[in-house]
Amino acid sequence: MSSRLVSPAGGSPGGPGRRRQRPLNPQTAFRIAVIGGITLAAIGILVIRLWFMQVIDAKGYAQAAAANSVRTLIVPAPRGLITDRSGKTVIANNQPSVNVVAFPLEVQGAQRANEMAMLAPILHTGSAHLMAEMAHGQVASPYEPVVLAENVTSVVRAAISERIRQFPAVQLQNAYVRNYPLDSFAAHILGYTGTITAQEYPSYTAKGYLGNEQVGQAGLEAQYEQYLRGVPGQTEVEVDASGNPVGSGPLSSTPPSQGDNLQLSIDMATQRALENQLRQHVAGSGTATGAAGVAIDPSTGQILAMASYPTFKPDAFVQHNTANNRLIAGYLASSRSPLDNRANQGRYPPGSTFKAVTAISALQLGILSATEIIDGPPQVTLYKTVFPNFERQDNGFIRLPTALMVSSDTYFYQVGARFWKLYTNATGPANDPNTGLEQQQWAKKFGFAAPTGIDLPGEDPGRVPTPAWKKAYFSQVDPTQETWLPGDNINMAVGQGNLLVTPLQMAVAYSAIANGGSMVTPTLGMDLTDQSGQVVRQLSDVTPPRPLGLSPAVLAVVREGLRQVAQGSLGTAAGVFSPVAAAGGPVVAGKTGTAQSGNKGQADHSWFIGFAPFDNPKIVVAIIIEHGGVGATAAAPAVCATIAAYGPTKFNPNLCGHPAPVKSN
Amino acid sequence: MQRGALSASLRSFLVGMDWVLIVVAAVLLGLGVFMIKTSTGHDVPGNSGYFEFRQVLFLIPAAVACVVLAAFDIRRLQAFPRVLLGGLLGALGVVFAIGITVRGANAWISVGPFQLQPSEFGKVALVVILAAIAAERSSDIRRWRTTLVLIAVATGPALLIFLEPDLGMALVYMAILVGALFIAGTPWKHFAIGGCVVSMAIMLAFVVLPGVGIHVVKGYQVQRLTAFLHGGNSSTAGYQLSQSKTAIGSGGALGKGVSGATQTVYNFLPEDHTDFIFAVVGEVFGFVGAASVVGLFGILMWRALRITAQAATQFEQIVAAGICAMFAFEIVVNIGMNVGLMPITGIPLPFVSYGGSHIVADLAAVGVLLSIHRRREAI
Repeated sequence: MSSRLVSPAGGSPGGPGRRRQRPLNPQTAFRIAVIGGITLAAIGILVIRLWFMQVIDAKGYAQAAAANSVRTLIVPAPRGLITDRSGKTVIANNQPSVNVVAFPLEVQGAQRANEMAMLAPILHTGSAHLMAEMAHGQVASPYEPVVLAENVTSVVRAAISERIRQFPAVQLQNAYVRNYPLDSFAAHILGYTGTITAQEYPSYTAKGYLGNEQVGQAGLEAQYEQYLRGVPGQTEVEVDASGNPVGSGPLSSTPPSQGDNLQLSIDMATQRALENQLRQHVAGSGTATGAAGVAIDPSTGQILAMASYPTFKPDAFVQHNTANNRLIAGYLASSRSPLDNRANQGRYPPGSTFKAVTAISALQLGILSATEIIDGPPQVTLYKTVFPNFERQDNGFIRLPTALMVSSDTYFYQVGARFWKLYTNATGPANDPNTGLEQQQWAKKFGFAAPTGIDLPGEDPGRVPTPAWKKAYFSQVDPTQETWLPGDNINMAVGQGNLLVTPLQMAVAYSAIANGGSMVTPTLGMDLTDQSGQVVRQLSDVTPPRPLGLSPAVLAVVREGLRQVAQGSLGTAAGVFSPVAAAGGPVVAGKTGTAQSGNKGQADHSWFIGFAPFDNPKIVVAIIIEHGGVGATAAAPAVCATIAAYGPTKFNPNLCGHPAPVKSN
Repeated sequence: MQRGALSASLRSFLVGMDWVLIVVAAVLLGLGVFMIKTSTGHDVPGNSGYFEFRQVLFLIPAAVACVVLAAFDIRRLQAFPRVLLGGLLGALGVVFAIGITVRGANAWISVGPFQLQPSEFGKVALVVILAAIAAERSSDIRRWRTTLVLIAVATGPALLIFLEPDLGMALVYMAILVGALFIAGTPWKHFAIGGCVVSMAIMLAFVVLPGVGIHVVKGYQVQRLTAFLHGGNSSTAGYQLSQSKTAIGSGGALGKGVSGATQTVYNFLPEDHTDFIFAVVGEVFGFVGAASVVGLFGILMWRALRITAQAATQFEQIVAAGICAMFAFEIVVNIGMNVGLMPITGIPLPFVSYGGSHIVADLAAVGVLLSIHRRREAI
């Protein structure tokens, strides 16, 4: 090349076959070289750039490309069914439904506003609401569809299907919605499902939930959420830029799996009877504000029925529509708290129903003898305080079984004073806060002041007052009442004072009396089975009963007292239960309670806790009618009708006596 | 005898060809048809070969133009630069008058089922015009007057094209001007001063004048030109750019193949058969394919520059240089745009992108190069 550059101008040595030669001047050659150099450099830069993009950063770009074209479709899974103890009656199931969903990343800006504005009138909502849902969904989980409307009608479905081309980011998605076919049946036990709330969002997504799943929000639905939840399947399909599926089939597919079925120990007939009784007694009372009841198998702790009144419709929380929203607003506004499960969350003074616990405690401690005769006058003066008998009755000189039968307050006040003596004469270490608290310790042995361990969320532990509790509590409220006094022991002996219990705790305590002295753990669930019928987890009879170590003689005398309550000539509930036994029905034993609610001017709480048959108890029923009056007139007939409904103790409920209000507690 | 003369002249014609250049151009054209087939297979419902067929159809007039110009002695045009300039300005003026709007630009004239883009053919015309005038004034090449005349000759049509508006094509015309001036021997000083003036004009057009409310460059043009600076955002231009980069990057080292090229096949990549066809190459064939295409363009440039160096006359040398500048600019700006290094200017990739006019113009330019090569100096 260089030799040619210096060749003289026009110096072509060319022969006939050679071309003319024009000398390339050095400046031009240099300039051509400059163009060549620049071009070469540019090509080098492009190749290096390609190397960085396609070799070094290829992974990131590949993910971006996949995010573009792969859309994850959720295949919904139904929740597990909830059935009664026979497994034949389904209490909670699922209904197929259709949700309107949209993929937030696929429609942005003005296009999104336009699409939502067109969609809003079809869904009978505002476009601002839809835009807010989209904005929230995009931040929370951008690759998941945002649910814009749940369980839409066929009219809405058709309206969207016809115009689906106008809504490239919108999809109709099959789903399941929880359904409670028996209306408000067992509402407080079942609870309900609902959409994951903003507060719950992080914890659920951490467990692998999708943001728009329905989860158990209360009751058993919440308690067994991890089992009941159906795990949605996922199908990954390729879509083009307009969102239309392309290709021959899904890229990958995980099938959905239905949740495990939950079989309850609930007996349909007993539950229905209990619910009816609670409703009737509250409705017919005029003073009652609510009621709760628990029926339990005393040997296993299996709950046969559990109800609270007033009640609610679980469906209202699941299916969103105007009528249901109004229902929920009504529940929340009601002063009678229909959403609360009074059976395990309501705390009440137990009143005379606690006397059975007091009697056992005193007999076991040896501060009372079954043969000891004590006067039960209209009133007793103890430690300079006058304690009147119920309705100022004179029970005369009585022994223990009778004291329970007639529910003598003055008898049990004197027993309560003996617990005070234990407290004041205590010989244990002075700084031991438990010294002399035998009354409280026995109450706690019977399960009070602690959750029973039932498989329901939100259980109230109740309260057993102690000197330490009283000091701490009243130092805030009224320092003049800080001191533990004889009256505290005396009132607790008859189930008053600061003692508070739940109906469930009473049912469990009486189960121990009924079953021969063992504490059981109450359970609603019997077992969880997967869809192939395999038992996934046994739920009942898992915790063995814990014997309290009661003397058989002690237990026998107290049980005899409880039998006389329902069967004896002077029994406070004999009018209700003796006709049943007389007609060949089971012998019921139990205890009435008329608990002062502490609210002046309001009627007392009406309690009855009964078990049957007396010799081999199959069922314990505890019922409280809030402000329902005396125990024998409201709660006892309700218990009688509930026991009548249960198979092993079945009898004609019309046999239950309905005494006019009597002077008994 | 006559037959023998014909065969002898055919033989001399074939021997005078630059077969490397022809093979490279043919490979690129074939690749283009394949990429168009890949990217538009689903675009026209019921007619998967629509774009592919049209591109093959365009190759017929393009090949004819190439052969005719290769056989033609380009020096015959040297005498009529003013006629050619008049024709060019006239054609561009007609576009303005009766031009139809395609994608917001008045750049096309409808001829039957096809649309002609005169500015594409004008590129080749401009090369000849500039070379003729520069060669004519070769003794005065160092004078400002000559430089300014050449600038004015190129700027006239470029301005019309800019107003169409087709900024990318106007820039190609300017690139041709620079290439012609450079090889014609315009002094370095003129380039330096010209560079300063252009820089200031850009500042004026993009910063100063919009600041006082005068918008020389259209809004979408500014957006397109600056999208590559923010690496692709939510604007339309940013979307194109980000999809293009995603396509190329996701191709990886060896490519995703035709069936796996989701960006292209599912239309996430806009303009995938025209301005962004290089991204399709990158997605389907990966780094190996994309770098090979860049390499092919490198060979093309090497041959074009070789022809420039060997040109028999200064006129032909300047013509070849103008074509070199044209190709180099189009290749670098288009691929640069695809990989996110250059602004989005709407310049197609020579030989590969879909489009009749530009394919005809590209092959015409190759024909001119071959014509010059045929009369090259001996080596």
